Amino acid sequence: MAHELTKKQALVRMIGFGIASAAVYGTVFQHANAFTEMCSRGGFYAAMPIAAVFLVSYVHGGFASNLWTALGINAKTQTKTVQATQTKRPEVRATLNA
Amino acid sequence: MDVALDSLKFIDLTTANVIFLFIVGFIGGLVSGFIGSGGAFVLTPGMMSLGVPGTVAVASNMCHKFPKALVGALKRFRYGQVDIKLGLVTAASAGVGVQVGIKLQNMILDAWGQAGSNLYVSVSFVAVLITVGGYVFYDAVKSSRSGAVKDKTPALALKLQKINLWPMIYFKTANVRISLWFTVPVGFATGMLAATIAVGGFIGVPGMIYVMGVGGLVASASELVIAFAMGLAGTVNWAMHGMVDIRLTLIILGGSLLGVQLGAIGTTLVREVMIKIVMGSIMLIVAVSRALAMPKYLAQLGLMDIDPSYVSIMDKTSFIIMCAALLLGAVIILGAMFKARRAMARQAAQEAYSQA
Repeated sequence: MAHELTKKQALVRMIGFGIASAAVYGTVFQHANAFTEMCSRGGFYAAMPIAAVFLVSYVHGGFASNLWTALGINAKTQTKTVQATQTKRPEVRATLNA
Repeated sequence: MDVALDSLKFIDLTTANVIFLFIVGFIGGLVSGFIGSGGAFVLTPGMMSLGVPGTVAVASNMCHKFPKALVGALKRFRYGQVDIKLGLVTAASAGVGVQVGIKLQNMILDAWGQAGSNLYVSVSFVAVLITVGGYVFYDAVKSSRSGAVKDKTPALALKLQKINLWPMIYFKTANVRISLWFTVPVGFATGMLAATIAVGGFIGVPGMIYVMGVGGLVASASELVIAFAMGLAGTVNWAMHGMVDIRLTLIILGGSLLGVQLGAIGTTLVREVMIKIVMGSIMLIVAVSRALAMPKYLAQLGLMDIDPSYVSIMDKTSFIIMCAALLLGAVIILGAMFKARRAMARQAAQEAYSQA
């Protein structure tokens, strides 16, 4: 299971994913018309919009996740009641006193 | 080199358009992350009101829906709320439902034209949302008054679970053992509704809760798996026909990825009954909105006489009420999250005080 990130770790990750997300959005919208036209050609070009949304999901999704953590908005973790582990008692064995 | 876009298919983006789509994307994402669906019913007409052609609006909306559902499902999977098997089994019959729904739409379109098809969509909206939404809301109020933290399994679901009809399936996370045959109508109806009003979750989530006996948390989280599967299949189809406006998709996705994760976090903070309250409230308000759109289609079919100026007012009111439904859902979610966080902070402070 993934460990909980501290606010500082989340902030660093948020900045990293944020830069990546800004770069992806910046590149796409810099060439918005050309990219939109390519994505709307149909046929095999259908892979382009699908690949683009998967890429954005990863970088922008990573940014969004770390943003909420950095802001201190976290999910409530289920508190597990710690149960004492039952130690096995050593079996009684007959020993010979030599 | 700049490329000129087909002005009949693609709109010019203004700052106001971008802000509107981003905000609606965020609110839609928040509601989806919380109840498993929603947002699409406002986004498609919202884009159309900006001048986007209907098919491009539907395609661009669907292209943002499946990655949003994927991110939401992954987040909620980490919280132990997603039953992947349940999502995939239901999605399989939902796929059949979508195909039948599209065939039925085409038959109605051929027989009664565009106005007939629009009327069918509105009647389906009103009938399903009032019946199902009304029951969800009634049940939510009842559960809320009882003060129980976990909901009881509905009587119908208990009866169906006792019928040993081969093949029986066990859904581990949902902790439900039921015959495959009882999952089929839920999935089929989800697909039919998705093909008709674009929000299959309005029947998928209540179906999983009341027919299969799945808890609200797992049902709404597993609905995201169905939304991902159906959204991906639909997007491949639309993108092959070149109908996706990637600019609109990416702007909406920018907002919805922020919202969907916040909504997912919200499910861990509030009581399970809040999912039903939000879902029931949105469904009932959207039903009112669609009822207001019906006279226009009745007039177009020659079944009703109405002043065109009234039609225009009712159209605008219908859209405003639809936006209000989504906004109200977001307000309830954020309000409940805020209250839960404040209660947690108060409890932590009390514990710290008593230890000191």
